[in-house]
Amino acid sequence: MSGLRDYAAARRELPLALDPTASGYDEVVAEDGAPRDAWRRLLAGYEPDLVDLPRVNAEIERMLSDDGVVYAPPGQRQRRWRLDPVPLVIEAAEWADLEKGLAQRAELLNVIVSDLYTDRTILSRGLLPPEVVFAHRGFVRSLARPGQEDLAPVTLAAADLSRDETGEWLVTADRVQAPSGIGFAMENRRVLSRVLPRLHREAAVHRLTPFFQTLRSAILQAAPDGVESPHAVVLSPGPMSETVYDQASIAASMGFPLVEAADLTVSSGCLWLRSLDGLQRVDVVVRRVDAAWSDPLELRGDSRLGVPGLSEAVRRGNVRIVNSLGAGVAENPGLMPFLPSLCEELLGEPLRLSSARTYWGGAPGGRDVLIDRIDELRMTSLDGRGVPSSAEDLRHRIETEPWRWVGQESRRASSMPALEGDRLTPHTVRWRTFTMRHGASYRPMAGGLVTARSTVGEQQVSKDVWIVKQDPADPDQGLSELMSVTALRTPPTLPPRARGDMYWMGRYIVRIEDTLRLWLLCHTLALDFHHRPGSPGGAALAVLRTTLRGLVSIPDTASETDDLRAALSDADRPGSVSQSVEQLTLLAQSLRDQVSPDLFRVTGALARALGSSRERTSDTYRGEDAETMLTGALALNGVSENMVRDAAWRLHELGRSIERASQLTHLLEPTLGRRRGPEVDREVLDAVLQVSESAVTHRRRYRGYVRVANVVDLLVLDAGNPRSLRFCVERMQQHLTALPASSGSTRPERLVDDLLALLSDADLAYLVVIEGEYRPRLRELLLTVQSQLRSLSEAVENVHLASGPWQRPIELPLVIEP
Amino acid sequence: MTRYQVRHRTSYAYDAPVTGSYGLAWVMPRRTPGQEVTEAAVTVVPEPEDLGVSSDYYGNEVRYFHVTVPHTELVVDADSVVEVEAAEPPRAMLDRSWETCRPLGSAEPGAWLAADFALESPLVEHPDSAREYAAVSLSPGRSIGEAVAELVHRVHADFAYRPGVTSVTSTVDEVFAARAGVCQDFTHLLLSCLRSHGLAARYVSGYLATTPPPGRERLVGADASHAWAAVWLGDDDWLAVDPTNDTRVDDRYVTVAWGRDYGDVPPVKGTVFTTASSSELTVYVDVQAV
Repeated sequence: MSGLRDYAAARRELPLALDPTASGYDEVVAEDGAPRDAWRRLLAGYEPDLVDLPRVNAEIERMLSDDGVVYAPPGQRQRRWRLDPVPLVIEAAEWADLEKGLAQRAELLNVIVSDLYTDRTILSRGLLPPEVVFAHRGFVRSLARPGQEDLAPVTLAAADLSRDETGEWLVTADRVQAPSGIGFAMENRRVLSRVLPRLHREAAVHRLTPFFQTLRSAILQAAPDGVESPHAVVLSPGPMSETVYDQASIAASMGFPLVEAADLTVSSGCLWLRSLDGLQRVDVVVRRVDAAWSDPLELRGDSRLGVPGLSEAVRRGNVRIVNSLGAGVAENPGLMPFLPSLCEELLGEPLRLSSARTYWGGAPGGRDVLIDRIDELRMTSLDGRGVPSSAEDLRHRIETEPWRWVGQESRRASSMPALEGDRLTPHTVRWRTFTMRHGASYRPMAGGLVTARSTVGEQQVSKDVWIVKQDPADPDQGLSELMSVTALRTPPTLPPRARGDMYWMGRYIVRIEDTLRLWLLCHTLALDFHHRPGSPGGAALAVLRTTLRGLVSIPDTASETDDLRAALSDADRPGSVSQSVEQLTLLAQSLRDQVSPDLFRVTGALARALGSSRERTSDTYRGEDAETMLTGALALNGVSENMVRDAAWRLHELGRSIERASQLTHLLEPTLGRRRGPEVDREVLDAVLQVSESAVTHRRRYRGYVRVANVVDLLVLDAGNPRSLRFCVERMQQHLTALPASSGSTRPERLVDDLLALLSDADLAYLVVIEGEYRPRLRELLLTVQSQLRSLSEAVENVHLASGPWQRPIELPLVIEP
Repeated sequence: MTRYQVRHRTSYAYDAPVTGSYGLAWVMPRRTPGQEVTEAAVTVVPEPEDLGVSSDYYGNEVRYFHVTVPHTELVVDADSVVEVEAAEPPRAMLDRSWETCRPLGSAEPGAWLAADFALESPLVEHPDSAREYAAVSLSPGRSIGEAVAELVHRVHADFAYRPGVTSVTSTVDEVFAARAGVCQDFTHLLLSCLRSHGLAARYVSGYLATTPPPGRERLVGADASHAWAAVWLGDDDWLAVDPTNDTRVDDRYVTVAWGRDYGDVPPVKGTVFTTASSSELTVYVDVQAV
């Protein structure tokens, strides 16, 4: 690899020990500056300089963008996921030890969680001070009831590892609440194996797919006893969550519907998915919502991310949660100092994989350690409340209630090269590992996800983890016999949340196309007539600019250049192309389990063109970006072409028809509703025909003779023109009628009937009658249709998309004594 | 032994239909060494699609209900007959110095279970105000019985009983600032005082039988839910005290449930699906000696 030599040289000259976060151990370059064995073997027979890292990196970015891989740091806009081209490589011998340690750790945590929710012998026998558990927010009392027994509360565990200066991997955190990252790990591998095909093949690394398939079986096997073909769902906090990609990609590749709380309901003590065909029993929930937010009835009452009654359904054994609602108790840093003795007691063997050195304030002498090393230890409180910002406060709180505090030696991590700009710089390595329940034991993923942080710059980037096989013939993941994989159910059931998303996706796809067409026309006219405002073309430009401004809510005072820039690229402006693309991308994320992956290729291309248009200083070139976007927008039509013709598709098509009709009224009212003299009118009519993609039809039918009546006929009344209002309304009627919730007399159907009657009754000659400067009948018709469409959209939301009123907690009775 | 007939009705009226209502109710007196429950019935109207009875983490009886019939009024009725005996903790336990009754780090039987009640809980924080206030009564070596009695007496004397100044979510600090509140506030306050010094104390919900003023008839339904605290003395011995009335708990008190604070054992809590913007809550309690 190009640059590795430079990295090694620089690494020798700049000892990393100077960086307080780095341990001094490098994953690629040994102390003597030569590549470590794993890398020496990997690069043997290879001309390293042939791999052009910046080029590989560009390819990675492109692929990730095409797949729509994003993550959203808390409180921030979604960002593109970043993957570095240089993987962390672990040799077979080292992995063999780690594998045993990770499996043992998951098994131990599982036994601990299981015990804490049944007999609590760990506490009654004095193996663990009770306050470590009782003070931890992950201990969910409502699930620790007599008679409750769950032998496998942990199906998937994650552990974060750092390597210290001696080369030993240490666990810095256990993640068992609702571990995230497997979807990212899978995607990282998919991309890296394609951009570095030869290196990947020759390295003989464990493929990840078998792990994923087995995990799918493990999730289904978590179903309550006696369920023959279990249904699983992935419960997500929603499209704004940090790891929405991870959640959606797991749902999509496992074939489980991605749902939000409102899609589920508890009834008769069982959990159900509200599907278009009625209630469907759910047996397993892959939970990505933290336990505290999962059941507003018994846990946090203010949560809208949870399903009331879920705990009751769990207690009755009618549904299983992966991981169990109580599993978060094992994320407790206060457990770490006790793991070695607990392992001896509970599993009868020594703990193989150590944790980073952690002190609990309640232990004998623990308080003094925390106070003495207050500046140097990383403090956390068991109850999850934040650490006070002032050292004084912290000291006071540790002194008064030491048992609430845990201090961990901040780990210095190993380093390795990652591409920063166009060269390799040292980055610290934190490796998230995943371990799943497999039959009655646990099996770690030979792979994982690395978060790498630059020690010289600001960069944070992910890395793939390559575990090299002992023998290239070894089975991937050591899973020689894949557990039976239940046939994928496709397409997964459409939850109510996704119904709304489908509908809005249709609307945004059309909105992007139609806004772009109008924009491009304005742009072209502006190039031609910008300096001739008095000409007929200049006047037409003014009319269309007003139309565009109306659509994108731009104030009249803005300049022409600002108008165009904002309508295209301003993400904060409602109706702008940029905002529609952003909304579409968000919808696509949460529909990942429902739509073709091609969609991400298109949204990725749209986002790239938008990004480029924002950087343009010249208006001329911005037009090229818009052309690129229009091509993308047209490709979006292909996405719906390939959809199965089910209710979801109908909702999508309904959204498209409503949006197209709405766009038409917004285009026609300001343009055709007014008379401006024959020359200007001709320019405006031409423009309207172009924007509505009907110029060719018009030419064929009317031999190029442009008259208002013809244009109105073609775009409003003509049932044969797919771009006419009448056509759109007829389509709405077709799709509405076919939806399961339609009865022939629902409000949306009535509204569409009215609309159709309005258009059938309209008389062309009457519509184009002129009074003064205006065509009042035409304007009235268009404005009526416009407001009817708004009512229709609301009615569709209520009848077909809504999942009932919101839940809220009821007032608690105050206790007042006599 | 005193026998009571208890009637506890909680009703909610909404200004728009509720299409789904999930609820939990802690309204049935629990069996304790000093209390026997001879009759018990809970009814919910409209009739729930699902009604479950189970024992919660602390051994209290909790009812789960799910009403699917659209309704604008929901009523939870609890009727029971209870026999109560005044149970005094052993003298020797009351004479222990208070410092020896702290469960954290103790190897005494029952200490590990009591530890749950020695920690902060969602509604009972440990502000310095409470710790300092309690320190006056918890002097070194003092017997637990005496120290607690004095603390209860001081809370009763220093805080005014005044409904309306606090809510179900008021914090201990707020009660300190207001110097006033209702029984659950005084109970939370007392819990905070005791726990911040390492003692274990639990929140108890129940009823207090009232005696009418001399010459007046007892008013039916004038009673209410009540709350008090119980302090761990060691083993499974607890001293129950009522800071609102400055007294030890005796056979006038009917115990329903206990937990770390009000949030563990509210009489009724729930989640409703509705477009209603407001609801009106009415509580009727009647405790009659029979």
